[in-house]
Amino acid sequence: MLSRRIWDSFFRVPLLGWLIGILIAVMLEHLLGDSLVDVLGLSKIPALFGFVIILKNPILMPGATLYVLLIYIIPVSAVARISSWPANKLAARLLDFPIWFSVVIHLGLFYAALHMWSEISAYRLLTLKLTLIAIMVTLSLNVVNGYMGEFSCSHPGFMALGAYAASVVTVVLFVNDRLFGPALLAPAFGPFIFPVALVTGGMVAALGALAIAIPSFRTRGDYLAIISLAFMFIIKSMIENLEVVGGPRGLSSQPDYANLPIVFFWTIACIWMTNNFVRSILGKALNAVRDDEMAANAMTVNTRRTKIIAFLFAAFWAGVAGGLFAHVLRYVNPATFGLQKLAEVLAMVYFGGLNSVYGSIVGAVSLSLLGEALRPLEIFKWIIIPLLLILVMIYRPTGLVAFKELNVRNLVKPKQ
Amino acid sequence: MRKVLLLLVSCLVIGLILSPCVWSKTKIIKVGINAPLTGDIPKVGEGTKYAAQMWLEDIKSAGGLEVGGKKYPVELVIEDNESKAESAVKVNTKMITQDEVMVIVGPQASSQAIPAGEVANNYKTPMISPWSTNPDTTKNRPFVFRGCFLDPFQGPVAANFIKEEFGFTKAAVLYDVASDYPKGLAEFFKKAWEKANGAGSVVAFESFTTKDVDFSSQLTKIIKSGAEVLFTPQYYNEVALIVQQAHELGWNKPITGSDSWGSAETVELCGKDCYGLFFSTHYAAAGAKGATKAFIDRYNKKYGYVPDDVGALTWDALQIVQKAIQSYGKITGNVEKDRKGIRDALANIKEFDGITGKMTFTEDGDPIKCAVIVRISEKGEYEFYKSVCP
Repeated sequence: MLSRRIWDSFFRVPLLGWLIGILIAVMLEHLLGDSLVDVLGLSKIPALFGFVIILKNPILMPGATLYVLLIYIIPVSAVARISSWPANKLAARLLDFPIWFSVVIHLGLFYAALHMWSEISAYRLLTLKLTLIAIMVTLSLNVVNGYMGEFSCSHPGFMALGAYAASVVTVVLFVNDRLFGPALLAPAFGPFIFPVALVTGGMVAALGALAIAIPSFRTRGDYLAIISLAFMFIIKSMIENLEVVGGPRGLSSQPDYANLPIVFFWTIACIWMTNNFVRSILGKALNAVRDDEMAANAMTVNTRRTKIIAFLFAAFWAGVAGGLFAHVLRYVNPATFGLQKLAEVLAMVYFGGLNSVYGSIVGAVSLSLLGEALRPLEIFKWIIIPLLLILVMIYRPTGLVAFKELNVRNLVKPKQ
Repeated sequence: MRKVLLLLVSCLVIGLILSPCVWSKTKIIKVGINAPLTGDIPKVGEGTKYAAQMWLEDIKSAGGLEVGGKKYPVELVIEDNESKAESAVKVNTKMITQDEVMVIVGPQASSQAIPAGEVANNYKTPMISPWSTNPDTTKNRPFVFRGCFLDPFQGPVAANFIKEEFGFTKAAVLYDVASDYPKGLAEFFKKAWEKANGAGSVVAFESFTTKDVDFSSQLTKIIKSGAEVLFTPQYYNEVALIVQQAHELGWNKPITGSDSWGSAETVELCGKDCYGLFFSTHYAAAGAKGATKAFIDRYNKKYGYVPDDVGALTWDALQIVQKAIQSYGKITGNVEKDRKGIRDALANIKEFDGITGKMTFTEDGDPIKCAVIVRISEKGEYEFYKSVCP
C-alpha cells in the first residue's frame, strides 16, 4: 500500500520538478563524482550509466550500480518528490505568461543539465551530439514513413547531400584546403555563416528530394521505396565519382563549429517545426492522404502537393542533420551513407513508433545509447539489438510510442 | 518488497567489499586497440585482435613491461569500431578520455583512420595505424603514425616489377571505384606505368563498385583491349571472383595485385586459379626466416591459420609501441606527460627491425620500408620472390 502511494506521488511531479532533479543530480556528479568513484573502486566516472563498465568488467558491477543509484536515481527522485509542491506552483505561475516563456525556461534547465552532464567527459559529449543528430534524422524520416505512410529509403542520400553541401560551403570559405585552395573569408565569420551552410545543406537535400518526388508521387505503393532506394545509391556513387570533393577518400578538415549548443539548438528547432508541421492543417491532410488518398482527394485535399511538401520538408531536415554530422565528425566519406545507415535510421523509426514525435525521440535515443552501451559485446550486439527489434515488432507492431501527439502545453503544465 | 530491497543492498555491500579497490591505484600501461571486429571487414579485426593478444601474452609471461628498470602491468583496451567512421571516432574518444590509454593501435582502414587520427592528434595521444595507406591519415598530425608504406610507393613498385619481370608494355587495370584504397592505388599504378611505357600504355582502365560480383563485361573489354597483364588492387573476396571469371573468359596472361591480396582467405576462395600469380605486399609468409617465421608459426599454432599482413603489421606496431615506451624510460602516472614522451620516442625510432622489414619514421610519421613481391606457389603458399626498397 505504502509503495503504491509513493509510486503514485511521482505522477504528480511536473516536468519542471524532474528537470530540477536532473540538474541537481548532475551538479552532484560534478562535486562528488570523483571522490565517490574512488570510494567505490571504479577507475573513472561511468560515462553512460555504468553499462560499459559492467559489460567489460563484471566484478565492478556493484560499484557501478551503486554509483548510478547514488548519483542519479536517488537524488533525481528525491529532489523531484520534495520539490513537487513548489514546482507545481511555479509551473502554474509560468503558465500565466505566454506559453513560449515557460517552454524557454524548461529548455534552459534541460540544456544546463545536458551541458554539465557532457562536461564530465568528451566521450559523453560526442555520444550526446550524435544522439541529437540521430533524433533529427529519425524525426524527419518519421514524417514520410509514419505521417505520410509511404516507405522512403533515401534518407542516407539526403544526409549525404546535406553533409557534403554544408562541408563544401564551410571548407571553401574558411579553411585552407588542398582541394579548394585558400580560405575566402576570415575564420572569425565562421560561426555566423555556419547556419547558412546548414540551411544550404538542407536546401540541396530538398532539391534532391524534388527529383524523387516528381516521378514517384504520380502513383502510390512501393514505387517510392524503389525509386528512393535507387536515389540513395545514385547519390553515393555520384559522390564517389566526384573528384572535387575527394571521391571515395572523403572530405575532411571541416572547421569545428558544431558544438553542443549549436547541435542542441538545431535539434530543438527540428522537433518544434516538425511538431507544428504535423499538427497543422497540412499535417492533418497528410494523415488523410495516408489513410485513404481517394477520400482525401474528394475532401478537397490537394494530395500531390501535400505529399511533395512533406517529402521536401523531411529531406530538408535530413540535410541539416547531415551537415551537423559532418561537422561533428569533421570528416565525411560516401561509404558512411549506405545501406547500413539506412537500416539504422529505419530501425530507430520503427522501434520508437510511427506517427509520433515522442516515438522518434525514444527510438533514436534508445538505439543510440544501446548501440554504445553494448559495444563491448562485439558480435553479440548485432544479435541482441535485432532481437529487441523483433520483439517490439511482435508485441507493439507500430513501435514503442506510436500515434501519440506531442502537446507542449500538456507537457509543461502543473500536475496537481 | 522490503526483503528484496534488503537483499539487494546486502548484495551490493558484499560485492563492494570484494571488488578490487586496492589494485586500481597501481600504475598500469594501457594500450588501446581500435579494430573493426564487426562490420564489412571482420577478418581484419580478428587478425588485429589476435596479434594484440599474442603480444599481451608475451608481456604477461615476462611479468609486465620493463620500463626504466621497473616492471609495469599492461592492459589492452580492445574496442570494436564496426568498420564505421563515426564509431571509430567514438571509440578513440572513449579510449582517450575514459580509459586513458597511453597509445592507440588502429584503426586499420583509412576511412576510419583519417577521422580517428584527428581525434588522437587533438587529444595529443600517439596513435599508430598499422594498415592505413592514405596520406591524409598522418599528414600534419604529429601524434599519428602508420606501420606500412604508402600507395605512392607501392604503385610504382608493382608497375616496375611487371616491366622488369615480363617486359610487357600494355597493361589493364580493374579496380573498385567506390573504395578509396583500390582507387588510389590504381591511379598511382597507372601514373607509374605510363611514365615507363608512354601515354596510352594502360590500354584498359576499368572500374566497378563495392559488392559487385559479376565482372564479365569489364573483363571482356580488358581481353579485347590487347593488354598483356591485368593489375587489380582488390580485397580477397573480389580477387577470387575476378581471377576465376577472367580465366573462364579465356584470359591466360598474368594477373598481379597489391598488399590487399595478402589475406589468408585469398587462396582459400580462389583455389588453383590463383597459383603462380604475383602481388606486392609487406611480408611473405612462406619461406620466412627468423622472427617472422617464429611469429607465423606461433600464430598458426594458436589460431589455426597463417596470419595475413594485418596481423603482422599490428604485431610490428605493438613492438614499436613497446620499444617507444621503453626508450621513453619512465612512467610518471601523468597520462598527458607520458603520451607526449612516448610520441617523441616514437618519432625518434631509427631502423626498427620488425617482422615486416626495417623501418624508420619520416617527419610525417610514415615509415620508410621495403616492399616484398610474393608469388602464390603451387601449394597455395605465399612465397617470397623479391624485395624492392625505396
